[in-house]
Amino acid sequence: MTFTSFKFLLIFPLLVGIYYVLPQRCRVLFLLIASYAFVGLTSVRAAAAMAVATIFTFLAGKYAGDTGSQQRSYFAFLATISILTLCLCFFKITAVLPLGRFGRLAAPLGLSYYTFKLMSYVIDVYWGKIEPARNFTEFATAIAFFPQIAAGPIQRPADFLSQLPPTQTALWMGLSRMAWGMGKKLLIADNLAPTVGYIFSHTHTLHGASLLAGFYLFPLQMYADFSALTDIALGLGLIFGIVGPENFNRPFTASSISDFWRRWHMSLTNWLADYVFTPLRMATRSAGSAGLALSITINMLAVGLWHGFTLGYLVFGALNAAYLVGDVLTARRRTQFFKANPTFDRPGTWAGWLLTAHLFCLAMVFFRANHVGDALRLLAGMWSGLGTLSSDPASLAAATGTQTLLIGLAGYAILELAERFRPDLWWRRIEGTTPPWVYWSVRLAIATCVLAGIFLVTIRQGGHDSPFLYQVF
Amino acid sequence: MDKTQALLALTEVFRQVFDQPTLVLTDAMTAADVQNWDSLNHIDLIVAVEKKFKIKFTTREVTGLKTVGDLAELTAKKASAAQ
Repeated sequence: MTFTSFKFLLIFPLLVGIYYVLPQRCRVLFLLIASYAFVGLTSVRAAAAMAVATIFTFLAGKYAGDTGSQQRSYFAFLATISILTLCLCFFKITAVLPLGRFGRLAAPLGLSYYTFKLMSYVIDVYWGKIEPARNFTEFATAIAFFPQIAAGPIQRPADFLSQLPPTQTALWMGLSRMAWGMGKKLLIADNLAPTVGYIFSHTHTLHGASLLAGFYLFPLQMYADFSALTDIALGLGLIFGIVGPENFNRPFTASSISDFWRRWHMSLTNWLADYVFTPLRMATRSAGSAGLALSITINMLAVGLWHGFTLGYLVFGALNAAYLVGDVLTARRRTQFFKANPTFDRPGTWAGWLLTAHLFCLAMVFFRANHVGDALRLLAGMWSGLGTLSSDPASLAAATGTQTLLIGLAGYAILELAERFRPDLWWRRIEGTTPPWVYWSVRLAIATCVLAGIFLVTIRQGGHDSPFLYQVF
Repeated sequence: MDKTQALLALTEVFRQVFDQPTLVLTDAMTAADVQNWDSLNHIDLIVAVEKKFKIKFTTREVTGLKTVGDLAELTAKKASAAQ
């Protein structure tokens, strides 16, 4: 069940209605039941796996935090991290390599996300940053919270628990954020998807401009799709009184690759920075630049392999590791150069922006392609088909529909403009000085347009669910 | 060494590591307040502090730091213990 499906849109008002009339002391339990129902409706096995992992980590965290012995605490921490890592790796491997007569095993829903939540909890308890959780219901809700279970953002349990009981509900803000996310998904991502899908599954027959279109379009589709899912998750969180961590901050405005990774999938990169990169960097700090390069490489390979144990994700991680190492090791010299030559500052920023965007697009080809061979064919083919420029895009348009692509691109342009000029902030500022009947009329008009839009788009899709790209991780 | 003295000495280290000669540190400052201070160069800062004060931090200590004040307090404590 996706957040843009008819099924969810029917259940959602019911959930919210019950939640808002419940006494506050029952809200956490309600969220826990709703979260397990959400996972259980997809797969009972997934719900059971999450319950076992949660109970195990809760008990291990309690033991690690409460035992007076440093040695026993270390043992509990090490055992929990090892078991959780093994489980995660097992399902990541069996998802791509058949396991005897069982064939390929699909990972339980949300495994990558809740495993990281559980790991951060045990590490934080072991490091003494937080006290072990005392209330199991609250802890289990922090792990299973349904808006974040399918695709994050990865909210640390300590951050979630500090907001309980969830008294600060924000219905209108939450609905607005959800509507924005649904608009992005249905109008942009889903309209770019057919063209991207066609290009990546025809790398052997397409050439030149058509393949180049795939090179540029997939990162846009991914951003619209994944940030839409984040918007919906954060909006749902606000409705239920939980403020979650942001995942994106206008990533395609970054002028360096390190800046880019501070803006893209932030909840994952922050998690890895705290629990993988920093400990590695501390351990290798006496090795100078070599230690830095090694820590970055392991960290970025982890970013790639977190998505799945395939060669494509490995290349994606390795390329980004190479970019980051190059960026970080030359950062000081570049800063000194631009300080000494201020006239080059602005052109340098533009060149950095162009280079960053293209380097990321290049890595994303390996992320999206079904096989590394397809990715290499796309990268080689986009330069070699100049003679077929006139016929190739025409066949692409005939196969996927020009109108769909144009709607997607126009929607993307609106998205970039909206993120640049933030009309929502402007509206929030003037709302305070506007009579309630005016802003409620505007809200009602917007809500009607959004609902009608979602309804029309869903009807056009024939009521089919359109899964989010990041739900498969 | 007390926390105020440590903060004063840390200012020099910060200015050098982040290449900002006019930077003034306060207790409540965080990474978000200092340009270029991110997870990638955080450990460069820690190494520079270790060298300057001839002390050693553990991973657990480093990950527990939230503000410049926390770093100054920990540095002062470690430097005093090392003397």
